[in-house]
Amino acid sequence: MEKFFNPQSVAIIGASNSPFNLAATILNLLRHNCYPGDVYAINRKGEGVHGFPGYSSVLDIPGKVDLAVVLLSAAQVPEIVRQCGEKGITRIIIESAGFSESGDEDGNRLQREMEAHMKQYGIRILGPNCLGTLNTQNRFCCFYGFVPEKYGDGFITPGTISYIIQSGGIGVLILDSFSNDVCKVNKMVSIGNKSDLDEADFIEYFNQDNTEVIGLYLESVRDGVKLMETARRVKKPILAFKVGRTAEGSHAAMSHTAGMANNDVIFDSACKQAGIIRLKAISELHSLPKMFTTMPLLRGKNIAVITNSGAFGGIAADILVEQGMKLASLSPATQERLAKTGQLFNAKNPVDLGPAMSKQMFIDIFDILLSSSEVDGLLPIPNVWQDVVIEAILDLIQMCKHYQKPAALYIPNSIAKILTIRTKYQIPVFESPEEAVRALVVSNQQYHYLLKKEQYHERNSLECDETKFEHALGV
Amino acid sequence: MKEILSNAMKQNLNTLSEYDGKLLLKNAGIPTVREKLARTRDEAIRFAEELGYPVVVKGCSPKLLHKTEKGMVYLNCNNQADVAHACDEITSKDDIGLDGILVQEQVPGSRELVMGLIRDAQFGPCVMFGLGGIYTEVLKDTSFRVAPLSAQDAESMLEELRAKDILDEFRGSPAVDRSLLIQSLVQLGNLALQHPEIAEIDINPLIVHGSQPVAVDALVILSGPN
Repeated sequence: MEKFFNPQSVAIIGASNSPFNLAATILNLLRHNCYPGDVYAINRKGEGVHGFPGYSSVLDIPGKVDLAVVLLSAAQVPEIVRQCGEKGITRIIIESAGFSESGDEDGNRLQREMEAHMKQYGIRILGPNCLGTLNTQNRFCCFYGFVPEKYGDGFITPGTISYIIQSGGIGVLILDSFSNDVCKVNKMVSIGNKSDLDEADFIEYFNQDNTEVIGLYLESVRDGVKLMETARRVKKPILAFKVGRTAEGSHAAMSHTAGMANNDVIFDSACKQAGIIRLKAISELHSLPKMFTTMPLLRGKNIAVITNSGAFGGIAADILVEQGMKLASLSPATQERLAKTGQLFNAKNPVDLGPAMSKQMFIDIFDILLSSSEVDGLLPIPNVWQDVVIEAILDLIQMCKHYQKPAALYIPNSIAKILTIRTKYQIPVFESPEEAVRALVVSNQQYHYLLKKEQYHERNSLECDETKFEHALGV
Repeated sequence: MKEILSNAMKQNLNTLSEYDGKLLLKNAGIPTVREKLARTRDEAIRFAEELGYPVVVKGCSPKLLHKTEKGMVYLNCNNQADVAHACDEITSKDDIGLDGILVQEQVPGSRELVMGLIRDAQFGPCVMFGLGGIYTEVLKDTSFRVAPLSAQDAESMLEELRAKDILDEFRGSPAVDRSLLIQSLVQLGNLALQHPEIAEIDINPLIVHGSQPVAVDALVILSGPN
């Protein structure tokens, strides 16, 4: 798997200098990113492209090649795969389409030919019909069709969130959105029609590397049982957005049960069982990971809201309850401690700070709430009307780590201002109260999933032990 | 259990008869209604006497799919004459060669649940639980889990119903025996894993009698002849 993301040398097959050559855009991207590995262009003329040396066949490349990226019409691909095998290239990304997924006889035949070569040489394939891989750590990327200048440093700024996607458009959305967020991409893989490697294989891989959160954008599931088995082993948060929520069942409904089932209902159940967080909006793929990378998990449902706008206290309380969270009920003792910190408008939850504020007062309030057993997490909604508010928020992040309780921040200001503050101070601010509450919900969901995964593995290892025991007894 | 399925497969049947279907479920540990399959009218009357009135009298055949619509179900049979009448009516309408006449205890209970099983192309056998009876399709208050189910999975299915409160004490009836529901859901999933020839199952309704859920009707659909 490593060679798909970390090749020391790569051959881009189909890259030439003809106008509108898609494979050449990959070379342009690698040049722009200053990718440090060896790159070769393979085309009929054997000409160099974008300053990289060219050959007419992979067999002519003098050195060893770790990875081949193929962008040729499907009919040419089986022979190319064979040549790669002969050259000793065992990892191939096929970005072109037209194999068994096309459903026609030609496609099926090409698929069979390709598979015969794969088997003979022990080749693993990513694709077909995909964009390939991106690794920000070593600046490798074989996405075609991108104009690198348009994406700032997104391709080369190392982060810790890895994505498995079935659409280039989603990749763009994530890279773009991260340009003013606290998270960055670690690796991204577009899996296309997954004739060989599928989503579960890449979840497994991202579980081993420096990834902190795994994001999935799926249009289909290839092997549901394998996906569930893999997800159950992975303790990193897995966030999945899947299309087809409104799709009708594909079963010819003979029974009532089949009439009720559809692909999406089953996927939803599988997520709950295997510990995959199902996302409700596509924007959550990039907005929610920061809750996991910057904050401890939410262990309970009791949330304290702190705001300096009474209106937002009420708004937040409604959203919290709608989403299954609770407004923490603060004891008289806690309220009294809060009241002593200064001139609060309201010491009950939602806590209303009123306008006149010192940094110390913020800190005291955060401390009282975080240290209270009545509170599992915070939803601070401070209007940033003075710099002290920012300073207090920066301290809050450290306090959350200390108390092992999270805070989901929202600032009731314009989106432009939110983005500026988030980027400048690197604080995990959400863009709406709804988004902040969702962050609390998924954090708590992940906490319960982890407990469930541990129980599942304890139970399974127990069963294993029993089997061994019975075996030893000769039962 | 194996025998019921292998016989059905040998005969190229698409479904099991209601009687065989429930035998299969009963063997799997799912509570089913007390019932007997009569070959003659006299036998049906004898069975009715044994089970105690009221009874339900139904035509029984693997080829009989829409029993109620075909006038093959007689509820509230309170005496020998009712049973005899039902048997005569069913026999006169029989144009498919019934296996026999099913005589079953009429289970009282106002709460009707549904359980089911399907095979998903990607995830394999999946178990359903929900609100049963004639409004199943209208209310669509159901929940699914992929087999095998842990007891915890099954429990979460009960929690997921919008109408989950009817499983608690309800209008003078005691709370439903949750452990029995959980056990049945787990067993339903295991049944599918052990028997690939079962394609789909509908248990509808599963009537709650006192606190006890009882499968009153069941449809077991087999996967097509290999």
